[in-house]
Amino acid sequence: MSETNDAPRTDRDTTDDGGGLSRRSFLTGAGTAAALGISGLSAAREEGLTGLEVVSDPIGDYPYRDWEDFYREKWDWDSISRSTHSVNCTGSCSWDVYVKNGQVWREEQAADYPTFDEDLPDPNPRGCNKGACYSDYVNAEQRIKHPLKRTGARGEGKWKRITWEEALTEIAEHVVDEVEAGRYDCISGFTPIPAMSPVSFASGSRLVNLLGGVSHSFYDWYSDLPPGEPLTYGHQTDNAEAADWYNADYLIAWGSNVNVTRIPDAKYFLDAGYDGTKRVGIFTDYSQTAIHTDEWLSPKAGTDAALALGMAHTIVSEGRYDEAHLKEQSDMPLLVREDTGKYLRASDVGMGNDKTLLMCDQGGDVRVAPGSLGDRDGKYDADSSITLDFDPRLDAEFSVEGIPVTTVWNKLTDRLAEYTPEAVHEETRVGTETLQRIAREFADAEKAKIIHGKGVNDWYHNDLGNRAIQLLCTLTGNIGENGTGFDHYVGQEKIWTTHGWKSLSFPTGDVRGVPTTLWTYYHAGVLDNTDPETVARVEEALEKDWMPMYPAERPDGTRPDPSTMFVWRGNYFNQSKGNVAVEETLWPKLDLVVDINFRMDSTALYSDIVLPAASHYEKYDLSMTDMHSYVHPFTPAIEPLGEAKTDWQIFRELAAKIQEVATERGVEPIDDREFDREIDLQSVHDDYVRDWISGEPGALAEDRAAVDFVLEHSEETNPEESENHVTVDDIVEQPQRFEAAGGHWTSDLDEGEAYAPWQDFVQDKEPWPTFSGRQQYYIDHDWFLDLGEELPTHKSPETMQDDYPLQYNTPHGRWSIHSTWRDHPQMLRLNRGEPVVYLNPSDAEERGIEDGDDVVLFNDLAEVEAVAKIYPASPEGSATMYHAWEMYQFPDHQNFNALVPMYMKPTQLVQYPADSGEHLSFSPNYWGPTGVNSDVRIDVRKKGGEGQ
Amino acid sequence: MSAEEASETPDGVDIADGIDHQVAMVMDLNKCVGCQTCTIACKNLWTDSGGREYMYWNNVETKPGEGYPRGWEELGGGWQSDDHTDRQVGEIPGGEDYGEPWEFDYESTLFTGESEHVEPEQDPQWGPNWEEDQGAGEYPNSYHFYLPRICNHCTHPSCVEACPRSAVYKRAEDGIVLVDQDRCRGYRYCVEGCPYKKIYYNAQRKKSEKCLFCYPRVEGEGPDGETHAPACAEQCPTQLRLVGFLDDPKGPIYKLVEEYGVALRLHPEFRTQPNVYYIPPFAPPQHSEDGETIDVERIPRNYLEDLFGEQVHDALDTIERHRTRVENGGESELMEILQDQNPARQYRLDVFEGGEGRAD
Repeated sequence: MSETNDAPRTDRDTTDDGGGLSRRSFLTGAGTAAALGISGLSAAREEGLTGLEVVSDPIGDYPYRDWEDFYREKWDWDSISRSTHSVNCTGSCSWDVYVKNGQVWREEQAADYPTFDEDLPDPNPRGCNKGACYSDYVNAEQRIKHPLKRTGARGEGKWKRITWEEALTEIAEHVVDEVEAGRYDCISGFTPIPAMSPVSFASGSRLVNLLGGVSHSFYDWYSDLPPGEPLTYGHQTDNAEAADWYNADYLIAWGSNVNVTRIPDAKYFLDAGYDGTKRVGIFTDYSQTAIHTDEWLSPKAGTDAALALGMAHTIVSEGRYDEAHLKEQSDMPLLVREDTGKYLRASDVGMGNDKTLLMCDQGGDVRVAPGSLGDRDGKYDADSSITLDFDPRLDAEFSVEGIPVTTVWNKLTDRLAEYTPEAVHEETRVGTETLQRIAREFADAEKAKIIHGKGVNDWYHNDLGNRAIQLLCTLTGNIGENGTGFDHYVGQEKIWTTHGWKSLSFPTGDVRGVPTTLWTYYHAGVLDNTDPETVARVEEALEKDWMPMYPAERPDGTRPDPSTMFVWRGNYFNQSKGNVAVEETLWPKLDLVVDINFRMDSTALYSDIVLPAASHYEKYDLSMTDMHSYVHPFTPAIEPLGEAKTDWQIFRELAAKIQEVATERGVEPIDDREFDREIDLQSVHDDYVRDWISGEPGALAEDRAAVDFVLEHSEETNPEESENHVTVDDIVEQPQRFEAAGGHWTSDLDEGEAYAPWQDFVQDKEPWPTFSGRQQYYIDHDWFLDLGEELPTHKSPETMQDDYPLQYNTPHGRWSIHSTWRDHPQMLRLNRGEPVVYLNPSDAEERGIEDGDDVVLFNDLAEVEAVAKIYPASPEGSATMYHAWEMYQFPDHQNFNALVPMYMKPTQLVQYPADSGEHLSFSPNYWGPTGVNSDVRIDVRKKGGEGQ
Repeated sequence: MSAEEASETPDGVDIADGIDHQVAMVMDLNKCVGCQTCTIACKNLWTDSGGREYMYWNNVETKPGEGYPRGWEELGGGWQSDDHTDRQVGEIPGGEDYGEPWEFDYESTLFTGESEHVEPEQDPQWGPNWEEDQGAGEYPNSYHFYLPRICNHCTHPSCVEACPRSAVYKRAEDGIVLVDQDRCRGYRYCVEGCPYKKIYYNAQRKKSEKCLFCYPRVEGEGPDGETHAPACAEQCPTQLRLVGFLDDPKGPIYKLVEEYGVALRLHPEFRTQPNVYYIPPFAPPQHSEDGETIDVERIPRNYLEDLFGEQVHDALDTIERHRTRVENGGESELMEILQDQNPARQYRLDVFEGGEGRAD
């Protein structure tokens, strides 16, 4: 080691009471690491240690052990409370919070989830590195302790401390002005992911709802929503809980880096390897999950669809598909018109309405396919069935009443014919033999499952990637039972207690929901800043009301700008894709930005008023996730620090202030221009605290009552047909498994078994909530036909900043959950302490960059500084910056997303069927354009090099 | 030693003279995801203040790599021969080889606007996880894995021998190695003498400190009166650590070390006889230039041999054999032990004192 100093150390410190070494320089000085050049020190034991008691044998006979209390005294505390973290990590881990001397000391996993299946790995403990040091945040320097009002420019960090009364009055007066002027839809509330803390979610959403304001989607905005699920399954997303991974015989982790992003669940993947399961990893890099697989495939970035379709080609051409499953459960036997590419409708041939689809039986007769929209009055109907009383042909091709028709299956096999092993190898670089062998193994396994993640879902063509990979499960019948399926885990989207949460968040039932990607880009000027085709499609989607936009267009044809934004439980400004446009165009439109936060994140820093929120260890709430089937609480281990208050308390007090101001001013109720209701500011607080279901006034004044409300009004915790009712007391005692899965989930929750979705359709034969009532791979919407995307297909990644050589990746990392913990000293010390970019060694060398160098990432949009880290596991031509550094961690408040332009895929704006939308129509977090960001290219140069 | 003999003669296990029972830990590297929850669990319990900020009694390093402290494997220490009479003199790492605990000033950027951005106040040059995920080799055949490390509580601890004040000792009841915080004067001979560099000098307190095997938890004398495994083990999300006594013949550690021979010592050539053992890592095979999976091991065997000695070949072969057996529908006690299906069995710390382990 060149760093060591091999000079013998001679400076014995004779002033000490023994032959000690000088203590100079060990950590603070020159840091010499000297060879001592001393041996036989045992002699010193007997000599020269004047006054020191003798130890005859330090191995097993050490006499002076009273000192051991020194460390024992540290293992002490006063109380333990149960809590968790609200960060959209999908973990939902229950923790014990240890309190000593009135302060939060530390936390440790509660590790008391009840076991429901003895054959599965133990569910305990759930937790990770981040959760294990949240306690440091409670008293951190970044903690917001008092209401603050901006005195400098947004982002400058100059504030004055104001009282709660001042803060609430200023906000309330602004809100009353806006509502009174009919600009209630200029008020936005952004808060993500109810499952991570539904009461805190509901706190502001409830007020925004009462005000007639706009509630923002998040699951689509974060590109966590897999559009392939609504397209193919007609459902937002439904997943098996992680324990079910262990039930698979064959597990593929496809772009899902579970060992980094699902740390509490990783054990199910790891233990499966000792239980006879083959684990395959599909990652562009030799990722942290790839290292613990049995086989790793390394497709070129953005070519996942090609690889999946190549595997499908092998499965189909070798006859390894599940024919019975395809006939009953998929759209493969449905008839399609050769002339228009549209499904053959019953109305085309005088057999019924235009939402009824058809098949051909073995005798050549055209038959009504059971379960399509026209067969169930255009509604989801659990009593109807897709069971066939005839055997449909997969490969029919004939004419009916002069119309040439074929089947989806024929169309699919034609398309798959393009994906020969050679062609797929050319596109993906995966070996021809390997991809065929993996396809065969997958098809032949008894139970095969794909864990699907962000690596596939952040691309412009994420829908195509999803659909191609889903197809593998459908072709092989690996869906709808334990150990199988396409499990997409990105975002803690699954709030089991949906009904209770919705009733609490949106008491009026009339929700002004908006697709945040479209809203953000629209107000950030996307119509002036993207290609004409996208602009035309956005305009058409708005024109046809396929997608909503707020503020709504006024009768005179004008549309006001958004004026007011409340952000809580999220870091919208920091995480905005198209960040440059958001900062320069959208943000100045907002007259008032209010951030409610326990710490000063970038959105808070760029706000006008910041309100101090209780930390995760200072309030009551609930936690749940799709990774498991338990519910457990947040409880206050200590009182909120400083002047902090819980989210519920903050919005309730704001409601009271609005009511007070409106009453003083005599503001009369206003008719909502869209919904049949009045917005009455003089009763807004009374409405806020009233239980709208029981009608009891003042019932929801306290957080804990709101927690109870959610549990009471949810089928999962208070099932109608059962005596069992999960209460707050129950879950404070121990996490509880849900009692049932409500009607909005796709399987029952059975005792003793891991939850696995889609059983209502696959096993109980209910129609899937799609146009066809089946898993639908053929989408005959005009836009899909125009673009050649009626079937899963592979398209090369879009070309954003294509003149630049490196593909820019911003995956979820190990040291933060989004921006939370990004600023946490313990986590920073286990990383590099500042923004870092991972580079392949050749790319670095080519640019004269060495590990640890300061570098600049750049494209036409922005320049971002980081430190280079050499990462041999990455392919050439890639640059990875784990998200989501805070803007204030970069010089000049750069942003990792500033390199990403505003772009989105227009097919995600459609309604389908185009006239009625029963299969696809906008619903917040269910269907809407995803905020993709992986198609972007950049270059990197050494800082101080050319151009600097 | 055959399995049968071992269960009949548990005291055949080599523990130090004068030690009644020896605590031990097995870490399964095939379950380590490098998340460092163990590191944080340890830090927030023991080393987050009082001059210990730079210390990581538990660290996780990416291998191959120089590790933490940097280059520790080359710094000497341990014994020159198997009879443990002559120490191998080692070197003390420099402060720069640990890396400073970077500090951050949030106040001036976020609340007073005096500073424009927050960055480490010390220029980062090295840290406890500096080489995270790097490893060696070239894409697509690079390789890396994670190595969690605590004090090995060795059977023949060279740190004990190194201390001229006899302030480092091994407890009779459980073999835990401790530095007497009253007697220690911070000479750092123990730091020099430990070949694993798992004793740390506290410049503020002028004492050396180290991993305690969480004895206050293990003893069960906390306010809850319950026995807890060390925090690094109990908080591990993938539960890759088994904790118990090496001389507990019913325990999984004994089986993994003595019967199956799949749990190995790190750098046995240092001759201190660690009581922390590792299940060596396997990895997916390499790729050919045309993207085919080829039958070539990714992690070079000679590298694993450097870390774990010659026994690594038998250990990996045994694991492979048992994995294949289970894949083909057979049964394997070994594969069951390595899975987290019975946490009670995983931590057997009451076997000798309370008469019964939690699993019995």
